[in-house]
Amino acid sequence: MPYWIYLVISGIFVNNFVLSRFLGICPFLGVSRKTETALGMGLAVIFVMGVASVITYGLNLLLVLADIEYLQTIVFILVIAALIQLIEIVIKRFAPSLYTALGVYLPLITTNCAVLGVAIMNVTELAKQTVFYAFINGVASGMGFTLAMLIMAGIRERMEFSDIPERFKGFPITLITASIMAMAFTAFAGLSL
Amino acid sequence: MFIIIPVSILTGLAIFFGILIAVFSKKFEVPTNQMVEEVLSNLSGANCGACGYAGCEDFANALVAGEASLALCNATSKEGKTKIGELLGTDASILDTTVVCACNGGNQCEDKYDYQGYGDCKSVELLAGGRKTCPSGCMGMSTCVAGCPSHAIEIIQGVAVIDNNKCTNCGVCILQCPKNLMKRIPTDKYYYVACSTPLTGKNVRVNCKAGCIGCSICSKVCPEGAITMVNNLPVIDYSKCTNCGICASKCPSKCILKRNEN
Repeated sequence: MPYWIYLVISGIFVNNFVLSRFLGICPFLGVSRKTETALGMGLAVIFVMGVASVITYGLNLLLVLADIEYLQTIVFILVIAALIQLIEIVIKRFAPSLYTALGVYLPLITTNCAVLGVAIMNVTELAKQTVFYAFINGVASGMGFTLAMLIMAGIRERMEFSDIPERFKGFPITLITASIMAMAFTAFAGLSL
Repeated sequence: MFIIIPVSILTGLAIFFGILIAVFSKKFEVPTNQMVEEVLSNLSGANCGACGYAGCEDFANALVAGEASLALCNATSKEGKTKIGELLGTDASILDTTVVCACNGGNQCEDKYDYQGYGDCKSVELLAGGRKTCPSGCMGMSTCVAGCPSHAIEIIQGVAVIDNNKCTNCGVCILQCPKNLMKRIPTDKYYYVACSTPLTGKNVRVNCKAGCIGCSICSKVCPEGAITMVNNLPVIDYSKCTNCGICASKCPSKCILKRNEN
């Protein structure tokens, strides 16, 4: 099986960013109240993760060349933040409809740990390291994030109408739901490819 | 040497991205709508949110987009609205209004019980429909006073009194009052009915010395025929009212008042 298919399945199911790596929990809990907003956030994350993977992979080569890999975190944060600013400016100018669709989520992603996580894992965890695989890993991780967001939003929309004990309403029941979802996703850990 | 390389690389990157962002934001600048800015400068700037939009800027955007009506804003002055009407080419003949409290009971109205809880009209209202024997009597617990952004409301003798010199007509008190006593009247009319009681004659007399007993003398003495009786309460048709004040002088229970203004 080609390596990129393995990366896609791993990114979406086995090593799902939210449910098995526990990164990006903040938007996962915060923006999952409605399916539409969850989808908007998810699409923005896919987009940013894909672009950020390519750019940070290239930059990492520079860092390796100068033998200063310990600066990865700080450089990646700088680059991702700047990148998103640039993308936002360009989108606002040329695709106003996309800009309103992504809305506030695009700048929110600037400091998202999931994006930083995928950038760092691209250069530390991937077995075969090329720009292409880094890109695929980024997009697949974003899709995994979107999947988790959508499932969560769907459950929360249904939960609006269910009879929840008073003390569990709101945040507590959301956390419980998230943990049950995470347990369900551990089933994918046994997937042999 | 080993510290110079990382520092210079990081600084270089930061400067590079800084310049890139500066260039991009200049090159791909989205032209802001001049119209929105001009409309915004003519709005009151109270940011009260009574129009249903998130502040004056949001409202200005909606106005220019044609999604909102200028009538939604009550805080903006007549001059401002006229200018906005000219800018947008829409009708600016919007009635300028101010707010009055349609109750003059207060201490003259009997208490149903002695309230000792948290002091707020809304919480008193939850307890057996308020502490006054009149179902629509001002309880004087200052919910409107606390809400008023321009400090125009005072509780005098147990009843809310609005200083119409200070009132910006934003409508916050209208939304806050649990008894719905705050009413809008045109700024160029001075007389208003200061009672909203649903009770009838005898019951009003028993409960409140300042209440309307529904005698309909005002409707008979009004030379313009501007007053009609609806549900035992006078209703003034302000398109006919000439500010003569005869109704107020003839009212036996003194519940038609002149507005509190210089």
